[in-house]
Amino acid sequence: MGVTCVSQMPVAEGKSVQQTVEILTRKLELLGAEKQGTFGVDCETYHTAPSTMGNQGQAAKLMYVMHNSEYPLSCFALFENGPCLIADANFDVLMVKLKGFFQNAKGNKIESRGTRYQYCDFLVKIGTVTMGPSARGISVEVEYCPCVVANDCWNLLMEFMQSFMGSHVPGIPSVFSNKHDSIYSPADTMVQYMELFNKIRKQQQVPVAGIR
Amino acid sequence: MEAPPVTMMPVTGGTINMMEYLLQGSVLDQSLESLLHRLRGLCDNMEPETFLDHEMVFLLKGQQASPFVLRTRRSMDKPGTPWHLRYLGQPEMGDKNRHALVRNCVDIATSENLTDFLVEMGFRMDHEFVAKGHVFRKGIMKIVVYKIFRILISGSTDNTEPLSLSYLVELSVVAPAGQDMVSDDMRSFAEQLKPLVHLEKIDPKRLM
Amino acid sequence: MSGVPSVRISIESASEKHVQEVGLDGSETYLQPLSMSQNLARLAQRIDFSQGSSGSEEDEPSPGGGGGREWPGAGGENDEEEEGLVKFQPSLWPWDSVRNNLRSALTEMCVLYDVLSIVKDKKFMTLDPVVQESIPQKQNPQVLQLISKKKSLAGAAQILLKGAERLSKSVAESQENKRQRDFNSELLRLRQHWKLRKVGDKILGDLSYKSAGSLFPHHGTFEVIKNTDIDLDKKIPEDYCPLDVQIPSDLEGSAYIKVSIQKQSPDIGDLGTVNLFKRPLPKSKPGAPHWQTKLETAQNVLLCKEIFAQLSREAVQIKSQIPHIVVKNQIISQPFPGLQLSISLCHSSNDKKSQKSASEKQSPEDHLYVLEHNLHQLIREFHKQTLSSNMMPHPASAPFGLKRMRLAGPQAFDKNEISSLQPSEGLLEKIIKQAKHIWVWGFLRFRTARTIDSLASRIEDPQIQAHWSNINDVYESSVKVLITSQGYEQICKSIQLQLNIGVEQIRVVHRDGRVITLSHQEQELQDFLLSQMSQHQVHAVQQLAKVMGWHMLSFSNHMGLGPVESIGNASAITVASPNGDYSISVRN
Repeated sequence: MGVTCVSQMPVAEGKSVQQTVEILTRKLELLGAEKQGTFGVDCETYHTAPSTMGNQGQAAKLMYVMHNSEYPLSCFALFENGPCLIADANFDVLMVKLKGFFQNAKGNKIESRGTRYQYCDFLVKIGTVTMGPSARGISVEVEYCPCVVANDCWNLLMEFMQSFMGSHVPGIPSVFSNKHDSIYSPADTMVQYMELFNKIRKQQQVPVAGIR
Repeated sequence: MEAPPVTMMPVTGGTINMMEYLLQGSVLDQSLESLLHRLRGLCDNMEPETFLDHEMVFLLKGQQASPFVLRTRRSMDKPGTPWHLRYLGQPEMGDKNRHALVRNCVDIATSENLTDFLVEMGFRMDHEFVAKGHVFRKGIMKIVVYKIFRILISGSTDNTEPLSLSYLVELSVVAPAGQDMVSDDMRSFAEQLKPLVHLEKIDPKRLM
Repeated sequence: MSGVPSVRISIESASEKHVQEVGLDGSETYLQPLSMSQNLARLAQRIDFSQGSSGSEEDEPSPGGGGGREWPGAGGENDEEEEGLVKFQPSLWPWDSVRNNLRSALTEMCVLYDVLSIVKDKKFMTLDPVVQESIPQKQNPQVLQLISKKKSLAGAAQILLKGAERLSKSVAESQENKRQRDFNSELLRLRQHWKLRKVGDKILGDLSYKSAGSLFPHHGTFEVIKNTDIDLDKKIPEDYCPLDVQIPSDLEGSAYIKVSIQKQSPDIGDLGTVNLFKRPLPKSKPGAPHWQTKLETAQNVLLCKEIFAQLSREAVQIKSQIPHIVVKNQIISQPFPGLQLSISLCHSSNDKKSQKSASEKQSPEDHLYVLEHNLHQLIREFHKQTLSSNMMPHPASAPFGLKRMRLAGPQAFDKNEISSLQPSEGLLEKIIKQAKHIWVWGFLRFRTARTIDSLASRIEDPQIQAHWSNINDVYESSVKVLITSQGYEQICKSIQLQLNIGVEQIRVVHRDGRVITLSHQEQELQDFLLSQMSQHQVHAVQQLAKVMGWHMLSFSNHMGLGPVESIGNASAITVASPNGDYSISVRN
């Protein structure tokens, strides 16, 4: 487990999502990165059922339940700007039991699937973000495995990302700055994915016809 | 976009439809030793272990009649172990052929920020207690003998007092639904604990 | 029957007041003494009239024959009747019995008077002297005495016999009891070593390793039998034990796991039968073995079965380049090409047939005892692992399961961490690894020794010394090889090699730190050692030249063209004599 930065790669001008992903992966392969199977991150959205609202007098909150193939036995539950609970897979069963209180926003299910690359100490995951049937964007996750202190390796991460993302290197993720010097955890990766998904959800559908 | 028919949400992982089979009883403090002695003889050949747990019960009130209850437990004497979040369904007494109380159960191991998260979800803590006792194992059967301690100052587990002069004894099995045979094993095991303790299926509704 | 006349002693009561009771304070309450009349009445009541009449009976016979005999008898009967009456009404009057007796006496007197008066007339009645049968009567008492003596003796004998019988019965009983006690004490001893439980009227024991963590499904139950009903008359055999055990039929006999490595793979058709023969059973002592040995052997059979079951399961599951073969009671694997590791379960039941075949097919076997022992050790480790992984849940409400597995979810373990939780390599993989090592090691041990021997016999000069380390790991051992020249050990210590023998290869560490990796092929090592020896020779020449004052003209470790071989190239040296007249060139 290392420090991870999750960012969005804009779709290249005049290219489809798939084509942009292909350009990225080719660049990585030219660098010498090794393909290591696939990965997937998914996110379900739950909102409090109308029955429970009002009663508590609280604003409607969205709860996200996420899974990451990198952590196959875990289930992550998050609130925006709230705590991130890491639980085992039985949490999904609990959400079924909580059906009366938390409703799954079916149409909001969003996920990112793609290929996992290893380049020396870096893990790179290029994913296509899909929501329902349509491709919405591209996610780039870069992990520097040997380090667990976020701020210590941000510059290194940034430099590495420049090598294949060019000018699209993101700014420092907010979880990093919140962390100060404390240890980076898998939950931080999930928070970044949640933020990325929320950003993509709000965006207009990609102008170029998406691929499946 | 048309929403898919809401029948059953897709379950990504986890084991569905687990049931807890339960028998309960109690012993007075003075007969604890002889009960433990017998349990040591009957149960699997393992070092008998003690436990010290802090349990908090959370409620989520909706407009429905009954609130949603979740139990959280953490081990106080074994730091570093995950928190345990537990959902227990309505107990079914069943007929005479089933010798144990049965209820749906979901066991979840979680990170330590569980209470914060439940509060964020809208749950409110209803009550809490400290359970201290012994845990035994016999095959898939779990036997816990413990005393419940009242927490005098909410949130502080240092300040407790025993709730009663007796120990609660629970014999439980968690198994996939429909495996009522396990209750036969439980019954025969409970027979072997007589007359030290009489384990019965106790309907909590009757006590209320 | 004492023939001594008894001395008559009359006892009269002392004329003292009778004490009725003694109070707690010691004061005595007396009975009032009887008055004269009362005393007389009491005495009168005590008179035994029948004694008087019987006394007359004795006096009478001589004058008055049968009649005299008859009457008193009648009188006696009368008397009894009277007395019976008296008994019925005892408290009529104190003198009643006296009166009655007197009356009956009077009646008798009257009758006697009448009879006598009739006899006197000699008309109606005569008196004849009766022939007295005194002689037989006189002998009679003696015969009677004899008979009665006999009778009483017989009675006494009978009593004695009865007593003896009872005594022997009780002895037998106590022996039976003792045996019963022996059974109980044996049972107690059994219970100290084995798990027992009572099912119905049977006592069942458990010889499985389940409580030690075994997952082998065999129930391993034995039954405790009471062996007390043996024939009491027969001599009890010395090794008799009141307790016996009955073990399941499939655990009878003895078993062991045999591991061997063969160089050539035999015909597949022969597999499975080759190793069916077993070593002859140690001649067991006559009679049944003690339960402890019986149970221990059975337990060993069970363990061997478990090891074999585990190995064959793994052999089928594990995919390797050369698939493992499981045939009958044998598992065959190829750790190296052309090499065959066979693990077989040899189970001999005690029936004669198998023993016969055992004696027929005796052949020296190449047991690898170390591996056999290690297999046992590995399965125990395996047991321990299952036991220790069954940790109690904390908090106590949590379900059972591996402790680390529970952490995997909430601590978001990644794939690597999760795979490290999975049980590592199995028994078979481990044992194959060990076998590989043993083979390489054994090969080295024997081949190097042979190589050294042959070289030493061929060439005397460079000497090879091998120092084997006694402390080995199961997967690694080491040997130190020194190459020296006799007589010049001090000046030339050029070659010191450390050979680390691993699972599949040999790592050679030079003194200068160079590391060379050799495969398990023996030729490679032989070549390497030869080249080292030749290098040593060149070094020796160099050192010798230095000592003797010769000039070194050239020295090269690597002669020839092309890249340097890993084991070293040919080396050469040219030296010149101190005066420069001679020069010697040495090349290996």
